[in-house]
Amino acid sequence: MNYILHLLIMIEIYLILAYGLNLVVGFGGLLSLCHAVFYGIGAYASTLLMIKTGISFLPAMLMGMAITALFAFLVGIPALRFRGDHFVLVTLGFQMIVFTVLYNWVGLTRGPYGIPEIPRPGVFGYEITSLIGYLILVGVILMVTIIILFILYKSPFGLALKALRDDEMAAEGLGKSPVHTFLYAFIIAGGFASLAGSLYATYVTYIDPTSFTLDESIFLLSVLLVGGTGNRLGPLVGVVFMILLPEALRFLGLPDTVAPNVRQMIYGLTLILLMFLRPQGIAGEYKINHYGKAEN
Amino acid sequence: MTLLLQLLLNALVNASIYSLLAVGFGLVYRSMRFFHIAFGAVYIIASYAVIAGMNISGFPLILSIAAGVLVGALSGVAMDKTVYLPLEKTGATPTILFIASLGIYILIVNLIALLFGNEVRILSRGIEPSLSIGSLIITRMQIVQFLAGWIVIILFWLIIRKNTFMKGIWALGETPTLVRVLGLPYGLMRTVVFALSSAFAGTASLLIALDVGIDPHVGMQALLTGAVAVIVGGVDVYWGWIGGAVILAVVQSMAVWQFSSRWNDLITFGILIVVLLFRPQGLFSPRKRREER
Amino acid sequence: MEKLKIKNISKAINGLKIVDRVTASFLPGRITGLIGPNGAGKTTLFHIITGELRSDTGEINYRGEDITSLPPYRVARKGIGRLFQDVRVFENLTVSENVVSACYDHRVETPWFPFLRKKRWKALERELKEKSDYYIDYVGLMEMKDVPASSLSYGQQKLLAIARLLAGGFSLLLLDEPTAGLNPVMIKKILNILKRIVAEDQGKTIVLVEHDMSVVTEVADWVYFMNEGRIAFFGRTDHVLGDKEVREIYLGL
Repeated sequence: MNYILHLLIMIEIYLILAYGLNLVVGFGGLLSLCHAVFYGIGAYASTLLMIKTGISFLPAMLMGMAITALFAFLVGIPALRFRGDHFVLVTLGFQMIVFTVLYNWVGLTRGPYGIPEIPRPGVFGYEITSLIGYLILVGVILMVTIIILFILYKSPFGLALKALRDDEMAAEGLGKSPVHTFLYAFIIAGGFASLAGSLYATYVTYIDPTSFTLDESIFLLSVLLVGGTGNRLGPLVGVVFMILLPEALRFLGLPDTVAPNVRQMIYGLTLILLMFLRPQGIAGEYKINHYGKAEN
Repeated sequence: MTLLLQLLLNALVNASIYSLLAVGFGLVYRSMRFFHIAFGAVYIIASYAVIAGMNISGFPLILSIAAGVLVGALSGVAMDKTVYLPLEKTGATPTILFIASLGIYILIVNLIALLFGNEVRILSRGIEPSLSIGSLIITRMQIVQFLAGWIVIILFWLIIRKNTFMKGIWALGETPTLVRVLGLPYGLMRTVVFALSSAFAGTASLLIALDVGIDPHVGMQALLTGAVAVIVGGVDVYWGWIGGAVILAVVQSMAVWQFSSRWNDLITFGILIVVLLFRPQGLFSPRKRREER
Repeated sequence: MEKLKIKNISKAINGLKIVDRVTASFLPGRITGLIGPNGAGKTTLFHIITGELRSDTGEINYRGEDITSLPPYRVARKGIGRLFQDVRVFENLTVSENVVSACYDHRVETPWFPFLRKKRWKALERELKEKSDYYIDYVGLMEMKDVPASSLSYGQQKLLAIARLLAGGFSLLLLDEPTAGLNPVMIKKILNILKRIVAEDQGKTIVLVEHDMSVVTEVADWVYFMNEGRIAFFGRTDHVLGDKEVREIYLGL
């Protein structure tokens, strides 16, 4: 039962990450490989704030969000000079640079030793220690996230993103500014990733850089690519599939030594097959562009 | 001073390996115009093929190495024939190929980890004998790496300059439709591109595996090194790729001199971002970026 | 009086002069044609006006404002809209969404708008539903309203692009070969729409790039004839098309 609660909490955290990233990848059509470090900056910033200045969880989380948003702005400006490959590379570069700093600036982050004994979140005087407590805390933040993001998805801002995604030149021709619009999306996604990071940190009470690697960014992107992007259902399908798959494998009796690799192999194979059969992912709306019929 | 020279010497050796990676990656990126992440998987296949071979029979090392490079080359071609080419036929964009390539990378790396385990495997035996040049030290393996890498790079350059077929391959990246219209053997050209690219990757892989060993996850590092070298140097200039590789190797060595090697990634990607910001076409690319749209 | 004034615009690409010292004016209340052989520089000129490309020399003036070095989205916000040669609809969006996206003012497309001005947003959605329906009907695509734009035929996509332009409320329309690749029925439909636009609103300026001379003669009273990057002729349509040199260069007669 405890294990199921743990799974649900992790699903909730990953949903926050996925729905935020959906704004950039699904609505904006930009592949980002630095979502894990936004997750990480949120985790480290809020943790360090709580430990070093003693402020409580909610303010720390919000300040972490502001710090991460600033970083997203600083990365977004150069990254958004490009599209396609070059955009991915800049985000990849940012991922690697931030990871290297988190890992090696031992004075600030304790590097590979990690930060243990992260204080439990205190919410309105009540300290959360039980799994049910976390489930509710993360659940509430998830609800707020979803409400905000779903409104954004439906808003003129969301439509503008999709228009820019589908045809940037035509969208610009209608007066939409690519850089401004994409930048907002990027910052918002980073902000929500940061929330997830803060929640993760206080949940597992120990963080180290290995949770925020390039592999993690790739995983987050894969979640969206598999589940589908550009709508409300895709990210849910993606998260549930990618998180429950390893559990299903374990249930089927696959030994623990083999399971992680088999799971990854399934992810890889799924990505390939989807690109052939269903580029919009299992439940997505946005079909990553094929060259139009006219050109074939 | 000696330390500086020693580091520069190491840099020249590293640059040779990085150049192989750059050319390997660049060949596909430039001709096919998509980001072949699975290059990282091809990289490890050659070495693991040799490991597998060594387990099975007692092949002499040289033969095993040649076989390894061959297997690597074939695996790259296989990836193209089974995934990339069919996808392109359905009208896939570079983004789709990128994602499929990512899938291939994840699939293969984990398959290899499954079969061979995650630990580092070293292909060589014992301590490497080293040579002294004045007060500088170089190991025998480093000499092999230096010579093998640079010889291949220069030989390859000599070939592509003169050979029409190779010029055709270069044209693929410029005007792909024209190449097909002219009736040039598109399928064969693709095969050659992937075979060569993968052979370069395999060569680099073995040169490293024989020295410090290999594990299933180093492919990503190799891929990123090659990719950054190509982009920093300039996608459209062969010697740009090499130049990019040399710059990376030298700057990394300098970083070791001043700080420690822990910050390598920061340096590498810092260079990438700076170059993309101020000279996105690459440092050695002559003309301005393709005129707007 | 002039809506769009182009003065001494030149653009060379790789040493080749694609646009060569072009000076032209486009007046409101009429459809002005821009014709010439392929490669004459017409589409490039459009790119320069909209800000996709930067000219080497000269200036562009719209309603008295200098728009020469504005980026495309700023040019669009000044009221200049464009129909692309290759249509460019938003494939994954429905017909309705395509048109609605053109109706939003940029200040409404910010992430804080739906939260800070919630009531205004709801009201706006209602207004725009009516407005977009109007334009979708105007071009005759009402039945396809909720269909993704990718499912439309080429001709229908062109109509959609036109509806989008109309809904966007642009006062200057740059149309790049709107009738290319269409059957005669569609062409007639579009021409009627164009004529209707100028008839209903004397403030609108339309510039039409076309290869089909019957189209040009039918809707455009005045034409510019471009050749090798330069404006070679300007005048009333029948006059220009009747000119001997034009006929030789362009019509091969």
